Amino acid sequence: MAFCGVGRSTSGALLLGSLLIAFAVQADESRIRNRTISYVMTDLFWSVYQTEDAQNECPRGFNDGPREQFEKLFPDYDSLSIEKTQLAQEIQTWHPNTEPDDFEFFEVEGELSWGLNLDGQVSANDFTHPDGTLGIDNEVYRAVGCIIGFRGPDGVEHIFQNKAILDEVFNRMMIELTEVDSLKNDESVVITMYRGKDRLLTDATGQKVMAGGTQRVDYRWGESLIRRFTGQIVDGVLFTEPIAEMVMPWQNLSVPSVHVFKDARFQLNLSSEGASGVLAGYADVDTWYYQLIRNDSTHHLSNGQISAISLYKALRRLADSHPDPETGNNTAISTALDVRMAQVYIVHPDIKAAE
Amino acid sequence: MSSLRQVALSLIAFTFFAGGPVTVGADQESFAEAFRNVPMPDGFRVEASQEGPVFANASGMTLYKWPQHKLRNGYSGEPPGSPACYDDVLTVSAGLMSPYPPGISLPHLNKRKSCVDLWNPVTPAEGAQDIGDWTIVERRDGSLQWAYDEQPLYTSVKDQQPGDVLGGTRRRFGGDAPAKRVPVGPPSLHPPGFSIRNSFNGRMLATERGESIYSYDGDTADSSSCRSTCLAKWKPVLGPSLAREQGEWSLLERSPGERQWVFRGRPLYTYVLDSRTWSQKGSDETGWNNVFTQVADAYPSSFKPQHSIVGDVLANSQGKTVYIYNCGEDSQDQLGCDHPTETQIYRLAMCGAGDPERCLEYWPYVLAGENEQAVNRTWSIVWIDRYTGRFADPEQEGALRVWAYRDRPVYTFAGDKSPGDVYGGGTGEWRGQRNGLKAIMLRDDFFGGTL
Repeated sequence: MAFCGVGRSTSGALLLGSLLIAFAVQADESRIRNRTISYVMTDLFWSVYQTEDAQNECPRGFNDGPREQFEKLFPDYDSLSIEKTQLAQEIQTWHPNTEPDDFEFFEVEGELSWGLNLDGQVSANDFTHPDGTLGIDNEVYRAVGCIIGFRGPDGVEHIFQNKAILDEVFNRMMIELTEVDSLKNDESVVITMYRGKDRLLTDATGQKVMAGGTQRVDYRWGESLIRRFTGQIVDGVLFTEPIAEMVMPWQNLSVPSVHVFKDARFQLNLSSEGASGVLAGYADVDTWYYQLIRNDSTHHLSNGQISAISLYKALRRLADSHPDPETGNNTAISTALDVRMAQVYIVHPDIKAAE
Repeated sequence: MSSLRQVALSLIAFTFFAGGPVTVGADQESFAEAFRNVPMPDGFRVEASQEGPVFANASGMTLYKWPQHKLRNGYSGEPPGSPACYDDVLTVSAGLMSPYPPGISLPHLNKRKSCVDLWNPVTPAEGAQDIGDWTIVERRDGSLQWAYDEQPLYTSVKDQQPGDVLGGTRRRFGGDAPAKRVPVGPPSLHPPGFSIRNSFNGRMLATERGESIYSYDGDTADSSSCRSTCLAKWKPVLGPSLAREQGEWSLLERSPGERQWVFRGRPLYTYVLDSRTWSQKGSDETGWNNVFTQVADAYPSSFKPQHSIVGDVLANSQGKTVYIYNCGEDSQDQLGCDHPTETQIYRLAMCGAGDPERCLEYWPYVLAGENEQAVNRTWSIVWIDRYTGRFADPEQEGALRVWAYRDRPVYTFAGDKSPGDVYGGGTGEWRGQRNGLKAIMLRDDFFGGTL
């Protein structure tokens, strides 16, 4: 009896287990409609690998910002003119150059970094992923990893850029996966990037984005942002092909700006509730730099100890892709961004849906 | 001034004294904003301007206030009743804008102007007395100055003609913009529950909560065609039971006891789908329009609206976004530096690292076509010295004939390669507010009209 009892219990447990698995699978697939599932971005920020005391990646400490540099450059500022001091700094900020300045720039010195192997090679200059993957290309991290404004959770850039995704619509980017048979494994899916027009669906706190919201597509002003590409799902992870050029609306302090990523690709863990992972590619250096300084005045940069003048030189020095055909200088820099998305239902206008 | 404009201004001035609405033409675009009659001292009047009705002195020059404005490291402007604009020539920075400290020498010390060189205090006539919200305040030297609603009043040396508002603006400006001078005028004549805000397109009407007001082409003062399903999107703006018709404002009884506000013969609505204040989204619906108490002067016919990922920007004939330069010094008197009569040292630093040739390359002026002529005071054609950035004589060698908005030249940006690019927007300190450039937006659905 006991055996039988155990057997019944085992059978019951197996049955329950099977049902739960079935429910789980069903739940995972439940938000797929017409072989389509979509996600809206809720978090997007530069992947910065951080250890607790930063000793691993920044053994020499963090970089100075504009305030500290100004004090060192102009200890007797009250005997100087605005042209020789403030405007001289503004000129270097808005008309940057690659000539060395008087400040040593602390690049990341650790070996680990988040990101992807973008070029398929493993070279001496590459990082290693914390999971052991070699050949990680993320030179933006090397440039910004020892600047406190780019480090989470309270760096000024980290705070404002993610906050802007929740608060604003200009940067309401989303992906729609079509021809989806399964979120676990699918040899080929089609991904389309759109900009949405609507606020995010949140819980009662207004801070936590919920799955199941709806977004209308911004075809009016966002049409130039639409990109279509393919990918595959392997063990619940979406891998996309490189996209030649992706324009990403970006905002932190009320200036409409963009980042331009070349050969960009997503690697996202998918579920029916959301997606998370990485967006990696090569950022156009000038666009990257001017996005930063157009949104953040020197005051805001100072709060994050971000010297635009010094950072530009580092970005140029570390740029590792897309050489200018005339000068041979690289125009793009490898990068990776942490991405989180919530599942959303995209509403297409009838005419566009018909197309 | 053209004779037509003189006639129009005379008509405006006459009718404004009567306190009634002013129409100088049959179409909506010719309306000027009506205002509430308020007591005024002798010798002052109300002028129509692009900033709405403004008080003016006997010569018709607009009166301005300089309200206190909180900046990053302190205040500038004037607290109520306390003049702060004097004849001191300030020589060092105030350090009001982080991160730069106070005490740095300001430019052109040998020819700097004082605040009163640029802003003339409005002085009362002998024996003048307080009247209504007009009061007389005492300056530190014992002289007297008119104030309105406790804010000391000034005229601007930039204004040349009645109705000019070149010295300041009622446009909303943020905490990081300079402490600007603001034209002063009588209250607009609208019922309680409404508000008006200046935009590039004109004086836009909204509820007091900032919900945009719309009207429908198919409506009349006596009939609304928005019934039944239409009401799912459009919400009539209802007047309270005590509401009374006045001037351009009337009431339409939609149903017994339900009275809808009507402005200039059109019933008024808000748009249920608007998600931001001061929105223009409802005007996308066929036949529906935002309502303006007065529409801004038309931009040059060679300019055009241009789609961008931000909204609609103003562009030149090639579709290149048009930018305006903004500048205010970090001095306690917050003197401007965005006008060709003012120091160009900041602008040259920003546009070309101090090199005028680089400025011309990176931020070229929008040149006026040979046959183009200015059609209004807001959009003028001026001659500019290509090297100094100051006004030039037409005969001057190399002088450029360029378009100007509010007497300030406008620019395009070399970094904008394709129509709709706005890569220059926000260039310069404080997102283009202090020493930098901002795109001129015709429609801004994303930033609440802050661009």
